Amino acid sequence: MSAARVVDALGTWCPVPIHLIDRAARGAAPGDVIELLADDPLIEVDLPAWCHSSGNELIELRRDGEGYLGRVEVTRPAAGRGGRGSPRDPSPGRSAGG
Amino acid sequence: MTEGAYLDHAAASPLDPRVREAMLAWLGESFGSPSSLHEWGRAPSEALERARDQVAALAGAEPEWVIFTSGATEARNLAVRGLLGANRALGRHVVATAVEHPATLAVCRSAEREGGGLDLVGVDEYGRVDPAALAAALLDDTALACVVHGQPDIGTLQDVPACVAALRAARPEVRVVVDAGETAGLAPVDAAAWDADAVVLGGGSIGGPRWTGALVVRPGARLHPLIAGGLEEGGKRAGAEDLPGIVALGVAADLARAGMPQRARRMRALARTLTEGLLAVPDVRLNGSAEERIPGHVQVSAGWVEGEALALHLAARGVAVSPGSACTVHGGKAAPALEAIGLEPPWTHSAVLFTLRATTSEAEVERAIAAFAESVAALRAMSPLTP
Repeated sequence: MSAARVVDALGTWCPVPIHLIDRAARGAAPGDVIELLADDPLIEVDLPAWCHSSGNELIELRRDGEGYLGRVEVTRPAAGRGGRGSPRDPSPGRSAGG
Repeated sequence: MTEGAYLDHAAASPLDPRVREAMLAWLGESFGSPSSLHEWGRAPSEALERARDQVAALAGAEPEWVIFTSGATEARNLAVRGLLGANRALGRHVVATAVEHPATLAVCRSAEREGGGLDLVGVDEYGRVDPAALAAALLDDTALACVVHGQPDIGTLQDVPACVAALRAARPEVRVVVDAGETAGLAPVDAAAWDADAVVLGGGSIGGPRWTGALVVRPGARLHPLIAGGLEEGGKRAGAEDLPGIVALGVAADLARAGMPQRARRMRALARTLTEGLLAVPDVRLNGSAEERIPGHVQVSAGWVEGEALALHLAARGVAVSPGSACTVHGGKAAPALEAIGLEPPWTHSAVLFTLRATTSEAEVERAIAAFAESVAALRAMSPLTP
């Protein structure tokens, strides 16, 4: 398992956080862990739902200051559609602004 | 202009033909949205990410740290507002050097007006901040510290690694913004080695269009967007990308990285010649550090001469420079950086700024020196203040 990669979705609203982690997961390898920083309260519903539908594993989702920290292990093979700027770019996805 | 001298490159500088050519392609036959799923989105997407790689390489950063903006001013606003907004758990107090760019000072003052605290740390007579003084200004609720790499008015370079190290030693969690908006492309910038949370970049100093720039943000720094509502730039800068400008910025970053030491040596040599020529005029002083300054950057004050009048007089002789306090001259106020280094009237109001590039010729420098001497003499002859 490689070091966790951070997706900063702070200050963005549904559906942007889920788009960002989906993009990152598509560019990741099985076993990679992605940390999602978010402060949209809907993430409490959206992240578990996305993990369920996408087949990735939700390790934890907890309050983190005024926001949330979600940790997801990528369990499915990379779909070759991860995006650094474009959803079609097969190279590893970029984190959300750092 | 064969008889003139263009020494105002910090205001605007001609694009390298390779930069212009790269940009024009995206205003002509190449088009498309990087976000599109269809084939017309592939080339724009690849061009966008290639530029991100190029800018990251110049800034000593990873590509995924780069957020493209409409210039250094937007990047400064995004850094201060974005980091404060997403790090309220750290507090709302800000520490900044007294010689930050006016855009940084303005957004810090806005944050102060909204209930946060702000402490500006003074500098010495050359514009250098003491890293220990910067660290001593940190409070238990300081969330953000701002350090300008190269001061845009007086040109002084700060010891960024020492400043960041002192801040980290005093308060490891403080978010540190380094403003390289006037230096990237002219002097080495290394976001990773500096251990900064965010680094401001501007297209002008890099050699790209002046309406381009970027904010480099390390992972985990926590940032709110200024412009929300889309997935562009990882959700941190929503809205359609300026693809022509971004592509041009990327090519400029590549060109700036190649041969930077040689170009800096030439700019320093030209600036040294210019400075010696200007200081040969009586009652003229160099503002800022003589050695630790942005390559090609010379600001002087000429006693008993008003800076704007001098810039206009030089312009009439075909020599393009900026008044040293261009941002505040219309209000009759001195530039904060000039006051910060301890200058008083008339020196605060008599500054002019010369900014050179490696493309500047020796003949331009010589013409500027001659015109400066003539203009200062002419204006002093008209001034009732001249002793």
